[in-house]
Amino acid sequence: MNARHMARLTLIAPTLVGLCTLGVWEAACRLLSIPSYLFPAPSDIAASLHANWPMLLHALGSTLQVTLVSLLVSVALGTAIAVVLVQHKLLQVSFMPYVIILQVTPIAAVAPLIIVLVKTTGVALVLCSTLIAIFPVISNTLIGLGAVDPGLEAYFRMHKATRMQTLLRLRIPSALPMFMAGVRIASGLALVGAVVAEFVAGTGGNSAGLAYEILQSGFQMDIPRMFAALFLITVTGLVLHGGMTTIERLLLGRWMRPAT
Amino acid sequence: MMDPIVGLWGVEKVFGNGVRALAPVNLAVQPGEFISLIGPSGCGKSTLLKVIASIHAPSAGQVRWWGRDFAHVGSAGHRMAFVFQDPTLMPWACMEDNVRLPLDLERMPATTAGPLVRDALEQVGLGHVLRHYPAQLSGGMKMRASIARALVTQPDLLLMDEPFGALDEFSRNRLDEEMARLCYEKGLTTLFVTHSLYEAVFLSSRVIVMAANPGRIFGEYHIDPAIRRDETFRLSDDFAHMCRDLTQMLTEATHATFSGGA
Repeated sequence: MNARHMARLTLIAPTLVGLCTLGVWEAACRLLSIPSYLFPAPSDIAASLHANWPMLLHALGSTLQVTLVSLLVSVALGTAIAVVLVQHKLLQVSFMPYVIILQVTPIAAVAPLIIVLVKTTGVALVLCSTLIAIFPVISNTLIGLGAVDPGLEAYFRMHKATRMQTLLRLRIPSALPMFMAGVRIASGLALVGAVVAEFVAGTGGNSAGLAYEILQSGFQMDIPRMFAALFLITVTGLVLHGGMTTIERLLLGRWMRPAT
Repeated sequence: MMDPIVGLWGVEKVFGNGVRALAPVNLAVQPGEFISLIGPSGCGKSTLLKVIASIHAPSAGQVRWWGRDFAHVGSAGHRMAFVFQDPTLMPWACMEDNVRLPLDLERMPATTAGPLVRDALEQVGLGHVLRHYPAQLSGGMKMRASIARALVTQPDLLLMDEPFGALDEFSRNRLDEEMARLCYEKGLTTLFVTHSLYEAVFLSSRVIVMAANPGRIFGEYHIDPAIRRDETFRLSDDFAHMCRDLTQMLTEATHATFSGGA
């Protein structure tokens, strides 16, 4: 099977699986007469999406804003932390346990504390989301910066390269594949963090995100709207993942096939 | 006799895990020599080369480059280049950028470096793949690029650590001929580590035979540098005779016991 054929297949096969699942779902709901307030058919969700579009679009904008800001902060801050930690083994040994604490503490448990402590809701949401998204950036960048070809490292040393030359010409390019994989994971986690934080904050009004729409739909037993909001979260996650994969391919495609 | 390009006096190497890789080694590399280091596995050939390259620091003894310390290596007339066993190219950079690396590290302006890089790539027959990435090239081409990266600095001393060990016999023979042409034409002083006795005889003006446990110089074998290194030499009776002599010396080195200090 050639590469072009495989690429076409990786697009067609999951689309077919999705369409079949939707078909079975729709048929099951209609044949078994399941009420939409219990489990809506795809057509009910589509109708709700259409009917509530302005409200859902606004909520999507809010969630997306928190997600993207926290992703940017995670990438910038995570990279800076990794670059500092890689400079000395003692720094890594001293600070890594605390970085791991960030990862192992469930964000749902920390989020209420952050919401209470931080007065501005938007900042609190970004902080919650950043706390969960930053770990893969730090971890992957650290691994990438440390995993330098020993031969090339010896070559740089032999040619009396400065610390900065070694960082810019060797360590950073070497780390790019691992860094990009970290950013790809962080993009998904930033969305998870944003939604979890919105749930905990229960923010309504102008800054209401998709999580608030889900909560409200639940209170009002508007299950198709709940599914519509859920659908938008899923699509957002997929678009973010696709975007990151595209950036990865643009950056690394010439010399390395990015992981899929 | 001219001053040696590299002089080693009582150089020893003991690694952190206690392995004694080199017993005291004395060696003087004269300008224009093509020296091959050969010996059984674990005899310290690569370690000795890396001590000379200053990749490893000696545990005892002294190394001098052009009669001075390593800080002076890299200045005009005292340039050293190293070719590793693997091509050690940067996968994210094209051939041109890979070969330009040592010049970039010494901050040579791009206008000066450009022609040197293209010339070095032409010398190894890679003038047509300037913009190719390592992943797009064969093993032999990557090794040539690695040699071009060494030549671009116009070295006065070239160190090569089994550069063609991973190549097939045909590619290795062809690269050996090209190496011999480049080094003998330029009078480039070369230290070459190899496992192949035939390669050592073909390339060298002096073959240093090493023994293991601990690594040390067992003996040396001189070959007339005026001999033209080509297919005719490879197929000659002289070549066969030299290989036979060296085989005998290597066999003796393999069975030699160390009688020096602990």
